[in-house]
Amino acid sequence: MFFAQVAPDSIVTPDIAWTALVPHLVLAGGAILMLMVWSLAGRWLPRWLPSMVTAAVGLGAAIGSIHLWRRVTDADRGPFSAVADSVGIDGFSVFLTVVISLTVVFAALLADGYLRRERLDGPEYHVLLLLSAAGGVTMATANDLIVLFLGLEILSLAVYVLAGYHNRRAQSQEAAIKYFVLGAFSSAFLLYGIALTYGATGSTNLVDINAYLRSTVLVDDGLLLAGFALLLVGLGFKVSAVPFHTWTPDVYQGSPTPVVAFMASGVKAAGFAALLRVFVVTFGTYADDWKPILYALAVATLLVGAILAVVQNDVKRMLAYSSISHAGFMLIGVHAASADGTASVLYYLAVYSVLVIGSFAVVGVVSGTGDGATTVGDFAGLGARRPWLAFAFTVFLLAQAGVPLTTGFFAKFYAITAAVDGRSWALAIVAMLSAVIAAYLYLRIMIAMWLEGSDDDAPIRVPVGTVVVLGVAAAFTIGFGIFPEPIVDLARDATPALVNSP
Amino acid sequence: MLGQYLPILALGVLAVLFAAVSFVASKLLAPRRPTSAKAAPYECGIVPTKEAPERFPVRFFLVAMIFIVFDIEIIFIYPWATIFEGLGLYGLVAMLIFAFAVFESFVYLVGNGALDWGPLKKQVPRTR
Amino acid sequence: MELTTTWYLVLGAIIFAIGASGLMIRRNPLVMFMCVELMLNAVNLTFVAFGRELDDLGGQVSVFFVLVVAAAEVVIGLAIIVAIMRHRSGATADDLSVLRG
Repeated sequence: MFFAQVAPDSIVTPDIAWTALVPHLVLAGGAILMLMVWSLAGRWLPRWLPSMVTAAVGLGAAIGSIHLWRRVTDADRGPFSAVADSVGIDGFSVFLTVVISLTVVFAALLADGYLRRERLDGPEYHVLLLLSAAGGVTMATANDLIVLFLGLEILSLAVYVLAGYHNRRAQSQEAAIKYFVLGAFSSAFLLYGIALTYGATGSTNLVDINAYLRSTVLVDDGLLLAGFALLLVGLGFKVSAVPFHTWTPDVYQGSPTPVVAFMASGVKAAGFAALLRVFVVTFGTYADDWKPILYALAVATLLVGAILAVVQNDVKRMLAYSSISHAGFMLIGVHAASADGTASVLYYLAVYSVLVIGSFAVVGVVSGTGDGATTVGDFAGLGARRPWLAFAFTVFLLAQAGVPLTTGFFAKFYAITAAVDGRSWALAIVAMLSAVIAAYLYLRIMIAMWLEGSDDDAPIRVPVGTVVVLGVAAAFTIGFGIFPEPIVDLARDATPALVNSP
Repeated sequence: MLGQYLPILALGVLAVLFAAVSFVASKLLAPRRPTSAKAAPYECGIVPTKEAPERFPVRFFLVAMIFIVFDIEIIFIYPWATIFEGLGLYGLVAMLIFAFAVFESFVYLVGNGALDWGPLKKQVPRTR
Repeated sequence: MELTTTWYLVLGAIIFAIGASGLMIRRNPLVMFMCVELMLNAVNLTFVAFGRELDDLGGQVSVFFVLVVAAAEVVIGLAIIVAIMRHRSGATADDLSVLRG
């Protein structure tokens, strides 16, 4: 054998801890198997099956995370890393894995009725959804910057296609191309940031980077700081922080509504997972250098999101800007760079995901065939036409405004508390100001729904899947708004950790 | 030292020289008996009566995209092949999983009729 | 004169800047995709240069993954463009053959 001489005899192959990868494997494997089954036998399978299978796979991934949660919260065993230290399993990553998996369940249930109404049904939507969730989970569990980048790309590439999934709607395709170009732009920046960080610290492993930064005083840290800046640009795009938010309203308005629900929940959760893990956890020793930038980002995001939301006339655009201002609240928690700050972001993500999915579920139903009727006027008189639909939307809007007895109140409360604990009083005041401005926007939609009349009496069909999503989301919002402890405790226990296998 | 890059420079100079010599030689040596058909942009076949269509059929893009997907598989298979012996069973299993995931896209393409060439028949209904 | 790592890093930065500015200035989608490729490959150069400097294989391994991601990005981009062209033009050669049945 010719190559036998070249090849070293003993290559140490990594030990794969399959149990640690259960959520990844369930999501990715589910997607691939589903694609295979449907391309071979799709003609003979019923049309409602793909979304049910997807929901089951998402639920399976969430259930498969339970044993990981038990293991990482167990004092004796604790967090661990797998696959040659490239995947880190800790409370933080398991919490976000569950959040992302559950957003898949909701997005699949919403898609069922939507895709059939728009005559777009087929397995592709669901396969892409599962693949992007697998990417999001990879991002949340990444213990290495390259793995983080791969996860981000798997997530984004699938969502680019999903954004243009409505192939008869020009707006949807415009959204796809805008999202794609700006997304590719931002990933290139992120990657350049990774390269510079690698050059400055000598590793792409987060644990090694952290250890290096702790033990070494860099005489010339220009390279590292440039890396920070580029990483922040790349991740800022993904979580749509101002001034990197310009794609958000266009993409949210043009994309199919169930896709938007996933973008605003699952994709955002993955983006914040990366932001927290890279900046707060890994670059914690350099917090003094990146905190001012994040402070500016948070202030700009809070104010611009809330102010521009008010002047919109399209409900999808309004919710897009409002999701930008919510991202500002989460950035407050990132800026705090503390355990409480991280917990507040996790709680916010879990709660906001449910709210935004519920909101877009209503929008997707009201928009009607063609997915076009999304102006405020189209919501006029909804309270008289479909009282329960209007009631559910009211609950989600009130919660987004931060009204007490809803989950949204505690989310904003903990974010502002994190800012106050970090002695950033100005930031806390800006956050409250933003909440007040944004409240006007939610009030405007509610007034249209309940007080304005409408001569439009076209029937609004609410598919079963959407009813389930609305019911669960509304029950979650009110139930955990009155008894917030369970979710708060989970978010507190979900601490990030940096460990390599011994 | 920059000296180690000398071969690259030499190669570049040689390439330019070869191209220049070819041009000059063909100008000098070839007989010139132009006819109208020979002066046309393409010498072979029938004289075009209308402009070529500006767009390529979508099918060509589709094939290009499919090609890229399978092209990329090679990037991983090649390094694996060089140290195949050392990696042993672990490498084989890993590569099989990877190959299955890529092959799966092929199944999807065939299942959707993306590789059916020639005049299209009726659109294949994918689901009922 | 010695060709140090810095040269490669500067070259990478210049190519990245060319790609980034091209992406912002040009309006032809295909050229924009080329600019994305330019940016990603500039990063590849940076990775390899750092890998050489640090005497670490990680830089070169990263390039493999970036290459794959770049290819996947191009495929997705092309697919989106093709979908748009189909939508906007209406009568391409393919559509005609469908009508003939």
